[in-house]
Amino acid sequence: MTESALFLITFILYIMAAFFYFAYLFSKKETPAGIGYKFAIVGLFTHSVALVLRTIESGHAPFTNMYESLSFLAWSSIMAYIIIEGKFKIRKAGPYFMLIVIGLMALASSPLMPKEATPLIPALQSYWLWLHVSVTLIGEAFFAIGFITSILYLMADSREKKGGSRKSGLTSEKLDAVSYKCIAIGFPLFTLGGLVFGMVWAYNAWGRYWSWDPKETWSLITWFVFALYLHTRIVMGWKGRRSAFIAVLGFLAALFTYFGVNYLLSGLHSYA
Amino acid sequence: MKSFIAFFSSVKLAIVLLIIITIASILGTLIPQHRSTAEYAARYGQLSTLLIRLEITKLYQAWWFISLLFLFSLNIVICTLTRLSPKLKRALAPSLETEKKKLLSLKIKANFSKNKDLETTAERIQKELELKRYKVKEDRHENNIFLLGRKRMLGLFGSDIVHFGLLIIILGGIVSGLGGFRTDLTFNEGQTIPVPQADFKLRLDKFETEFYPNGTVRDWKSTLSVLENGKKLFEKTIEVNHPLSYRGFVFYQSGYGYNWENPTLHLRIKKDTDPSYSMQVKMKVGDTVRLEDENMDITAMRFVPDFIIGENNRVATRSMNPNNPAVLIGGHREGETVFSAWAFAKYPDFGQMHSSQEHDLKFEFEDFEAAQYSGIQAARDPGANLIWVGCGFLMFGLCIAFFWPPREIKLVLETSDGKTHVAAGGIATKNREDFQAEFENMFQSLRRSK
Repeated sequence: MTESALFLITFILYIMAAFFYFAYLFSKKETPAGIGYKFAIVGLFTHSVALVLRTIESGHAPFTNMYESLSFLAWSSIMAYIIIEGKFKIRKAGPYFMLIVIGLMALASSPLMPKEATPLIPALQSYWLWLHVSVTLIGEAFFAIGFITSILYLMADSREKKGGSRKSGLTSEKLDAVSYKCIAIGFPLFTLGGLVFGMVWAYNAWGRYWSWDPKETWSLITWFVFALYLHTRIVMGWKGRRSAFIAVLGFLAALFTYFGVNYLLSGLHSYA
Repeated sequence: MKSFIAFFSSVKLAIVLLIIITIASILGTLIPQHRSTAEYAARYGQLSTLLIRLEITKLYQAWWFISLLFLFSLNIVICTLTRLSPKLKRALAPSLETEKKKLLSLKIKANFSKNKDLETTAERIQKELELKRYKVKEDRHENNIFLLGRKRMLGLFGSDIVHFGLLIIILGGIVSGLGGFRTDLTFNEGQTIPVPQADFKLRLDKFETEFYPNGTVRDWKSTLSVLENGKKLFEKTIEVNHPLSYRGFVFYQSGYGYNWENPTLHLRIKKDTDPSYSMQVKMKVGDTVRLEDENMDITAMRFVPDFIIGENNRVATRSMNPNNPAVLIGGHREGETVFSAWAFAKYPDFGQMHSSQEHDLKFEFEDFEAAQYSGIQAARDPGANLIWVGCGFLMFGLCIAFFWPPREIKLVLETSDGKTHVAAGGIATKNREDFQAEFENMFQSLRRSK
């Protein structure tokens, strides 16, 4: 089986997962959510095989162009979601999160993204490619879950304030706590992969660990926003709306670092 | 002094500074940095003077940005230090709680009685705490016992270690900025260049470009010899991502290019009147070939790698890359110029010939051979090691701050009427849910135990 066929199968599995999660959301029965979760797990498996095949086929890490890195980000997101749902039982976030994953997969399969595996340019031939990109994207996947739970928090909070019923299972307090947990996992990963490994690699490849290149600067900005989240929360006791708002901003900054910088600003990171 | 410390120990200040630094950093990515005055004028018009005056055009090196970073560092130092001493006291000289009321005002708590004597109950609780890896301190009196169980107290200092790491990173940045030195060296094969600000030399023994089957570059490799006092110490082949480190210097493969001083040109000479005539010559600029049958001397007069008609209609080269290589060929008969012509390697049909006498020669510029030079960046960055040490502290601190949460359980045991009354309270600033689960689990089994 080829990589592109497996990618397509994975895509279909994720769509099925989303379908069952939405069925759960609207039917208010628990069973479909469990089925959606299983589809996500099977999808993660076929996706992993697809990534391994891609690696064998191209002879290098599967994140050197936009198609590959989107696919890897979708993979990281599903993995992160499976872990977080398993641990914190946040099924209500499932349908929305699946939409993000499907969005990533759709972008990756869009004709705008060149799919052919190209040989690595000299600057990317390093094992730091594996470490830097994979750890950063896995960190960003946790930020993405924190983003969804924060948005759901904001929605649940305004519903509760209006005197709406406190829906059983996923209360606003729980959403607030899970957002924090996701950022508590994502932040060290992002720091290690994005900033520390990035600096080490830059030192090895370009001769300087920091050049204020737009992508570097934006990953620092993302880091600052999440540092702000942690300090306002832990030291100043901010919780709830303000915290959720900063978490949303942080994810948007991460998203801009990942996409926006490539298309809107120019710099050393022009490849991906 | 007191108000100075009070000002800089405020977390609010840290947050305000963080927001300002973040906004400034964003500004620096939106406005291109380190461009020419003319480019800014074209882009921003009148605004450009202001941008340049405020150093927004070199924002990350601007005095005000550096000052912000300095204030932020000072803020981190003072914030960390003022919060350190109560934490140190808590970790090193913990106090045992003696008042039941205080324990029962905590959120995580337990309160029960046992039909056992004081000693036995204390032993049992101590065992349970130690089973869960708590270290226990005790204070025994006749009618009551105070206990304190603690674990992962290092976790208290996670944020301090992170801040310490950040300060080392900032220090590393300062050292790099002040003591760093970098320069670009261009080597031809065989050339020896003394490394600036060092007492050794480098020689490029070999330079090669490797290609993928599709023609794109796979790698550049430079074999370098390190020479000291005229003696070769060792050699190393460097490539992109694999630099050479020696005595505080690091040498990076940073670029390549052609050495256009003396290229070999491959020309083909043809005749309009005789399609079967075809002669290949290899020559360098200044060389002359004699065509006996035409009684003509052909000279390669000039070569440019990237042909362009420049100012005053003069031929110039646009770059040092072979984007449009061209050669000027001259023909002479008995000392008189017959023609001069430009031949283009990429556009064989586009010849420009100025002839003053009759002839039927045509020239094709088929190929050229030029030595490639290797661009090597020499860098001395004394701050780099501080950066790695700082990153180590940063990551270690983050890991214990998030994944090594400290936990404390304080107990007051009192005896009366042959019963032992136990009051317990749990203190944890992070990961409270997990702690609560552990706490309740422990005290449930203690309550049930006989």
